[in-house]
Amino acid sequence: MSDLTKTLALSASGMQAQAQRLRHVSENIANNDTPGYRRKLTSFEAVMAPLTANPASGSSDRMELVRARDVQLDRRELPLVFDPGHPLADDSGHYSGSNVDLVVEIADAREAQRSYEANLKMFDQARQMTMSLIEQLRR
Amino acid sequence: MFNRLNVSMMAHALAGHASARQSAIAQNVAHADTPGYRARDLPSFADVWQASSAGAMRGTRAGHLGHTAPGAAAFAGADRSPGTQTPNGNTVSLESEMVKAAEVRQQFEMALAIASSASNIQRTALGRGK
Repeated sequence: MSDLTKTLALSASGMQAQAQRLRHVSENIANNDTPGYRRKLTSFEAVMAPLTANPASGSSDRMELVRARDVQLDRRELPLVFDPGHPLADDSGHYSGSNVDLVVEIADAREAQRSYEANLKMFDQARQMTMSLIEQLRR
Repeated sequence: MFNRLNVSMMAHALAGHASARQSAIAQNVAHADTPGYRARDLPSFADVWQASSAGAMRGTRAGHLGHTAPGAAAFAGADRSPGTQTPNGNTVSLESEMVKAAEVRQQFEMALAIASSASNIQRTALGRGK
Protein backbone atom coordinates (compact mmCIF):
# COMPACT_ATOMS: atom_id res chain seq x y z
CA MET A 1 0.00 0.00 0.00
CA SER A 2 1.54 3.26 -1.02
CA ASP A 3 1.71 6.18 1.35
CA LEU A 4 -1.06 8.11 -0.33
CA THR A 5 -3.39 5.12 -0.16
CA LYS A 6 -2.43 4.71 3.48
CA THR A 7 -3.43 8.32 4.07
CA LEU A 8 -6.82 7.66 2.53
CA ALA A 9 -7.37 4.62 4.75
CA LEU A 10 -6.28 6.48 7.89
CA SER A 11 -8.49 9.48 7.22
CA ALA A 12 -11.42 7.26 6.39
CA SER A 13 -11.03 5.41 9.70
CA GLY A 14 -10.90 8.74 11.51
CA MET A 15 -14.05 9.97 9.82
CA GLN A 16 -15.85 6.74 10.63
CA ALA A 17 -14.91 6.97 14.30
CA GLN A 18 -15.99 10.60 14.53
CA ALA A 19 -19.27 9.83 12.77
CA GLN A 20 -19.97 7.10 15.31
CA ARG A 21 -19.28 9.55 18.11
CA LEU A 22 -21.67 12.04 16.52
CA ARG A 23 -24.32 9.33 16.34
CA HIS A 24 -23.97 8.63 20.08
CA VAL A 25 -24.26 12.34 20.77
CA SER A 26 -27.49 12.53 18.81
CA GLU A 27 -28.82 9.50 20.67
CA ASN A 28 -28.05 11.26 23.93
CA ILE A 29 -29.78 14.43 22.82
CA ALA A 30 -32.81 12.54 21.56
CA ASN A 31 -33.12 10.76 24.92
CA ASN A 32 -32.71 13.89 26.97
CA ASP A 33 -36.17 13.43 28.49
CA THR A 34 -36.23 9.65 28.70
CA PRO A 35 -36.61 8.58 32.36
CA GLY A 36 -33.68 6.51 33.58
CA TYR A 37 -31.51 7.09 30.49
CA ARG A 38 -27.76 7.18 31.07
CA ARG A 39 -25.70 9.17 28.62
CA LYS A 40 -23.35 7.24 26.35
CA LEU A 41 -19.66 8.09 26.37
CA THR A 42 -17.53 7.61 23.28
CA SER A 43 -13.79 7.08 23.47
CA PHE A 44 -11.26 6.11 20.83
CA GLU A 45 -8.45 3.60 20.62
CA ALA A 46 -5.70 2.81 18.16
CA VAL A 47 -5.81 -0.46 16.26
CA MET A 48 -3.01 -1.87 14.15
CA ALA A 49 -4.01 -2.23 10.55
CA PRO A 50 -3.66 -5.77 9.18
CA LEU A 51 -0.30 -6.28 7.52
CA THR A 52 -0.33 -5.38 3.86
CA ALA A 53 0.25 -8.04 1.28
CA ASN A 54 3.44 -6.43 0.03
CA PRO A 55 6.05 -6.20 2.82
CA ALA A 56 8.66 -5.03 0.28
CA SER A 57 7.14 -1.58 -0.09
CA GLY A 58 10.03 -0.03 1.75
CA SER A 59 8.56 3.20 3.03
CA SER A 60 5.60 1.68 4.79
CA ASP A 61 5.86 1.07 8.47
CA ARG A 62 3.06 0.18 10.81
CA MET A 63 -0.16 2.07 10.45
CA GLU A 64 -2.49 2.69 13.34
CA LEU A 65 -6.11 3.10 12.41
CA VAL A 66 -8.52 4.68 14.85
CA ARG A 67 -11.67 3.05 16.13
CA ALA A 68 -14.41 4.04 18.52
CA ARG A 69 -14.35 1.95 21.66
CA ASP A 70 -17.28 0.03 23.04
CA VAL A 71 -19.89 2.32 24.46
CA GLN A 72 -19.65 3.14 28.14
CA LEU A 73 -22.48 4.57 30.15
CA ASP A 74 -22.09 7.62 32.30
CA ARG A 75 -22.08 6.41 35.93
CA ARG A 76 -23.22 9.71 37.33
CA GLU A 77 -26.29 9.66 39.52
CA LEU A 78 -29.59 10.21 37.76
CA PRO A 79 -31.36 13.42 38.82
CA LEU A 80 -34.64 13.09 40.65
CA VAL A 81 -37.49 14.94 38.97
CA PHE A 82 -40.54 15.92 40.97
CA ASP A 83 -43.73 15.15 39.05
CA PRO A 84 -46.46 13.42 41.09
CA GLY A 85 -48.59 12.89 37.99
CA HIS A 86 -45.91 10.93 36.15
CA PRO A 87 -46.69 7.20 35.74
CA LEU A 88 -43.18 6.29 36.97
CA ALA A 89 -43.30 8.54 40.04
CA ASP A 90 -42.78 6.83 43.41
CA ASP A 91 -44.65 7.54 46.64
CA SER A 92 -42.87 10.87 47.20
CA GLY A 93 -43.77 12.03 43.68
CA HIS A 94 -40.23 11.72 42.24
CA TYR A 95 -38.88 9.75 39.28
CA SER A 96 -35.33 9.52 38.00
CA GLY A 97 -34.68 11.46 34.82
CA SER A 98 -31.73 11.16 32.45
CA ASN A 99 -28.23 12.41 33.21
CA VAL A 100 -27.80 14.03 29.77
CA ASP A 101 -26.49 17.57 29.83
CA LEU A 102 -27.42 19.30 26.60
CA VAL A 103 -24.60 21.83 26.78
CA VAL A 104 -22.01 19.08 27.13
CA GLU A 105 -23.56 17.20 24.22
CA ILE A 106 -23.48 20.23 21.95
CA ALA A 107 -19.83 20.86 22.85
CA ASP A 108 -19.05 17.22 22.11
CA ALA A 109 -20.85 17.44 18.77
CA ARG A 110 -18.83 20.52 17.84
CA GLU A 111 -15.59 18.76 18.69
CA ALA A 112 -16.59 15.73 16.65
CA GLN A 113 -17.46 17.98 13.71
CA ARG A 114 -14.14 19.76 13.92
CA SER A 115 -12.18 16.51 13.94
CA TYR A 116 -14.30 15.11 11.13
CA GLU A 117 -13.58 18.12 8.96
CA ALA A 118 -9.86 17.88 9.65
CA ASN A 119 -9.91 14.24 8.54
CA LEU A 120 -11.90 15.17 5.46
CA LYS A 121 -9.34 17.82 4.60
CA MET A 122 -6.49 15.32 4.83
CA PHE A 123 -8.46 12.87 2.70
CA ASP A 124 -9.09 15.50 0.06
CA GLN A 125 -5.47 16.58 0.05
CA ALA A 126 -4.26 13.01 -0.47
CA ARG A 127 -6.77 12.64 -3.28
CA GLN A 128 -5.59 15.81 -4.97
CA MET A 129 -1.95 14.76 -4.64
CA THR A 130 -2.76 11.43 -6.27
CA MET A 131 -4.61 13.22 -9.05
CA SER A 132 -1.70 15.55 -9.78
CA LEU A 133 0.64 12.56 -9.82
CA ILE A 134 -1.56 10.82 -12.35
CA GLU A 135 -1.80 14.02 -14.36
CA GLN A 136 1.99 13.99 -14.48
CA LEU A 137 1.99 10.50 -15.93
CA ARG A 138 -0.54 11.39 -18.57
CA ARG A 139 1.67 13.98 -20.23
CA MET B 1 25.15 10.71 -18.39
CA PHE B 2 21.52 9.74 -18.31
CA ASN B 3 21.76 6.63 -16.20
CA ARG B 4 22.08 8.54 -12.96
CA LEU B 5 20.28 11.85 -13.11
CA ASN B 6 20.65 13.43 -9.74
CA VAL B 7 17.87 15.92 -10.21
CA SER B 8 15.27 13.30 -11.06
CA MET B 9 16.42 11.07 -8.22
CA MET B 10 16.14 13.91 -5.78
CA ALA B 11 12.70 14.87 -7.05
CA HIS B 12 11.62 11.25 -6.72
CA ALA B 13 12.92 11.09 -3.17
CA LEU B 14 11.25 14.37 -2.28
CA ALA B 15 7.88 13.18 -3.58
CA GLY B 16 8.30 9.93 -1.63
CA HIS B 17 9.22 11.78 1.52
CA ALA B 18 6.29 14.16 1.15
CA SER B 19 3.79 11.35 0.78
CA ALA B 20 5.29 9.43 3.72
CA ARG B 21 5.04 12.54 5.86
CA GLN B 22 1.51 13.09 4.62
CA SER B 23 0.48 9.69 5.93
CA ALA B 24 2.10 10.41 9.31
CA ILE B 25 0.11 13.66 9.48
CA ALA B 26 -3.09 11.87 8.49
CA GLN B 27 -2.50 9.39 11.31
CA ASN B 28 -2.07 12.24 13.79
CA VAL B 29 -5.27 13.90 12.60
CA ALA B 30 -7.20 10.65 12.78
CA HIS B 31 -6.01 10.23 16.37
CA ALA B 32 -6.79 13.81 17.36
CA ASP B 33 -9.13 12.55 20.11
CA THR B 34 -7.52 9.24 21.08
CA PRO B 35 -6.46 9.25 24.76
CA GLY B 36 -2.73 8.83 25.28
CA TYR B 37 -1.77 9.15 21.62
CA ARG B 38 1.58 10.83 20.94
CA ALA B 39 1.85 12.81 17.71
CA ARG B 40 4.64 11.67 15.41
CA ASP B 41 6.52 13.19 12.54
CA LEU B 42 9.29 12.37 10.05
CA PRO B 43 12.67 14.08 10.04
CA SER B 44 13.00 16.84 7.46
CA PHE B 45 13.83 15.92 3.88
CA ALA B 46 17.25 17.59 4.07
CA ASP B 47 18.28 15.32 6.98
CA VAL B 48 16.97 12.20 5.28
CA TRP B 49 18.72 13.05 2.02
CA GLN B 50 22.01 13.77 3.76
CA ALA B 51 21.81 10.56 5.72
CA SER B 52 21.01 8.45 2.69
CA SER B 53 23.69 9.98 0.46
CA ALA B 54 26.60 10.51 2.84
CA GLY B 55 27.96 7.02 3.26
CA ALA B 56 25.17 5.69 5.43
CA MET B 57 24.42 1.99 5.23
CA ARG B 58 21.80 1.22 2.68
CA GLY B 59 19.59 -1.80 2.30
CA THR B 60 19.79 -3.18 -1.21
CA ARG B 61 17.06 -5.72 -0.74
CA ALA B 62 13.69 -5.43 0.90
CA GLY B 63 14.60 -8.07 3.48
CA HIS B 64 17.57 -6.16 4.90
CA LEU B 65 17.31 -4.74 8.36
CA GLY B 66 16.35 -1.10 8.35
CA HIS B 67 15.61 -1.21 4.67
CA THR B 68 14.24 2.03 3.32
CA ALA B 69 13.34 3.04 -0.17
CA PRO B 70 15.88 5.56 -1.49
CA GLY B 71 15.26 8.86 0.24
CA ALA B 72 12.11 7.81 2.02
CA ALA B 73 12.30 7.67 5.78
CA ALA B 74 10.58 4.71 7.37
CA PHE B 75 11.25 6.02 10.81
CA ALA B 76 8.36 7.92 12.24
CA GLY B 77 9.66 9.29 15.49
CA ALA B 78 7.72 11.14 18.11
CA ASP B 79 6.97 14.72 17.25
CA ARG B 80 9.59 16.92 18.88
CA SER B 81 7.74 20.21 18.67
CA PRO B 82 6.53 21.48 22.04
CA GLY B 83 3.17 19.79 22.32
CA THR B 84 -0.06 20.97 23.73
CA GLN B 85 -0.79 17.95 25.81
CA THR B 86 -4.40 17.56 26.78
CA PRO B 87 -5.38 16.06 30.16
CA ASN B 88 -5.93 12.65 28.53
CA GLY B 89 -2.31 12.52 27.32
CA ASN B 90 -2.94 13.34 23.67
CA THR B 91 -0.33 15.58 22.05
CA VAL B 92 -1.95 16.22 18.65
CA SER B 93 -2.60 19.84 17.77
CA LEU B 94 -4.90 20.04 14.76
CA GLU B 95 -3.65 23.50 13.85
CA SER B 96 0.01 22.52 13.61
CA GLU B 97 -0.98 19.41 11.67
CA MET B 98 -2.75 21.61 9.14
CA VAL B 99 0.37 23.76 8.79
CA LYS B 100 2.46 20.65 8.19
CA ALA B 101 -0.09 19.38 5.67
CA ALA B 102 0.22 22.60 3.68
CA GLU B 103 4.02 22.28 3.76
CA VAL B 104 3.85 18.72 2.53
CA ARG B 105 1.50 19.69 -0.24
CA GLN B 106 3.93 22.36 -1.36
CA GLN B 107 6.86 19.93 -1.30
CA PHE B 108 4.95 17.38 -3.31
CA GLU B 109 3.94 19.92 -5.99
CA MET B 110 7.52 21.15 -6.13
CA ALA B 111 8.83 17.62 -6.64
CA LEU B 112 6.34 17.05 -9.45
CA ALA B 113 7.25 20.34 -11.10
CA ILE B 114 10.96 19.51 -10.93
CA ALA B 115 10.39 16.05 -12.35
CA SER B 116 8.33 17.43 -15.19
CA SER B 117 10.84 20.11 -16.12
CA ALA B 118 13.68 17.59 -15.93
CA SER B 119 11.83 15.36 -18.35
CA ASN B 120 11.21 18.36 -20.61
CA ILE B 121 14.93 19.06 -20.69
CA GLN B 122 15.64 15.46 -21.62
CA ARG B 123 13.04 15.62 -24.34
CA THR B 124 14.57 18.80 -25.70
CA ALA B 125 18.02 17.20 -25.61
CA LEU B 126 16.63 14.35 -27.69
CA GLY B 127 15.30 16.85 -30.22
CA ARG B 128 11.65 16.36 -29.39
CA GLY B 129 11.02 19.64 -27.68
CA LYS B 130 7.46 20.78 -27.62
